[in-house]
Amino acid sequence: MEDKQVMVLALDESDHSFYALDWILTHFFGSSSNNSFKLIIIHAKTSPVSVMGFGGPGSTDVLHLVETDLKKTAEKVISKAKDVCSSRSVTDVQYEVIDGDARNVLCDAVEQFHASILALGSHGYGAFKRAVLGSVSDYCCHHARCSVMIVKKQKPKQKP
Amino acid sequence: METTTAETSSTGAEGAAAHQPLTTAEEKRKMKLLVAMDESDGSFYALKWALDHIFCYPIQPDLEESNMITLVHVQPIYQPFIYPAGPVVYAAPAVIDAVKQAQAQNAAAILSRALHICKERKIKAETLILEGDPKDRICQAAEQLHADLIVIGSRGLGTIKRAFLGSVSSYCAHHVHCPVLIVKPPSKEAHK
Repeated sequence: MEDKQVMVLALDESDHSFYALDWILTHFFGSSSNNSFKLIIIHAKTSPVSVMGFGGPGSTDVLHLVETDLKKTAEKVISKAKDVCSSRSVTDVQYEVIDGDARNVLCDAVEQFHASILALGSHGYGAFKRAVLGSVSDYCCHHARCSVMIVKKQKPKQKP
Repeated sequence: METTTAETSSTGAEGAAAHQPLTTAEEKRKMKLLVAMDESDGSFYALKWALDHIFCYPIQPDLEESNMITLVHVQPIYQPFIYPAGPVVYAAPAVIDAVKQAQAQNAAAILSRALHICKERKIKAETLILEGDPKDRICQAAEQLHADLIVIGSRGLGTIKRAFLGSVSSYCAHHVHCPVLIVKPPSKEAHK
């Protein structure tokens, strides 16, 4: 079957995301010939307006700085991802940086690329933090139109 | 949520998982999957989806042992008393037995269907029947079996229904310590 399934992987700059990338590359793109999935890595770049709110005087300058900073972060994330993928010799990867709120970006990307799996890391917030800070993985679980895989950092196992 | 009632767990035909030392290359590909099953179509769809997408491609003879699937069915505990409008009435022992038997048959039917699906795709699986609250039991089972990935179906409830009926998949996604794959029922326009 030549038709590859599409897997969308969401990355931000946190360790959790890169752990997820690592885990996915290990288990789904491991060793030999098994490249049954086409991997699309997406970084959602939040817009500076949403980060800052509507500022007071001098906000236009700050806006510019924030925008530059966000762009730099995005580039860092993508290049780090490229390094990780190439070190695992996974070559069939597409990288995208999309503007907007992560939740919407990811759900739209699923539709756009006709993904069969959406993979993301999880900050592992408790219920309260999640209510206050919001959870992208939570939102995607419920609203994405495809299967969702949430990769968490495993707690250190107490082996007997 | 305290579960003080005794839990019965019985492993199925395949027996306990073999813990053999593996080379790093093999260990990389080996994934221990835990698939949560109930009577709904959603979980059977999830099982099929997971088998098709995760295991379909690398069918290499030397990696037969590589992926282990454990099918888990959790039976909710039957409350042995009935609350009519008035005082509490305890159900007769005969009724309790009948219900227990029905539950056991139900569980066996579900798991045998699931095993059949696995066999069709030539995938080895073992089964596990647990009693208690599905959310907690699935999370506990995942920890005890050191599962690498949990596969769970989703009924596709909206926000309000989910608040009232509760969502096992949502709970598991947040509380379990290993990756979770939530498989949704196919949408009306089934595109490949």
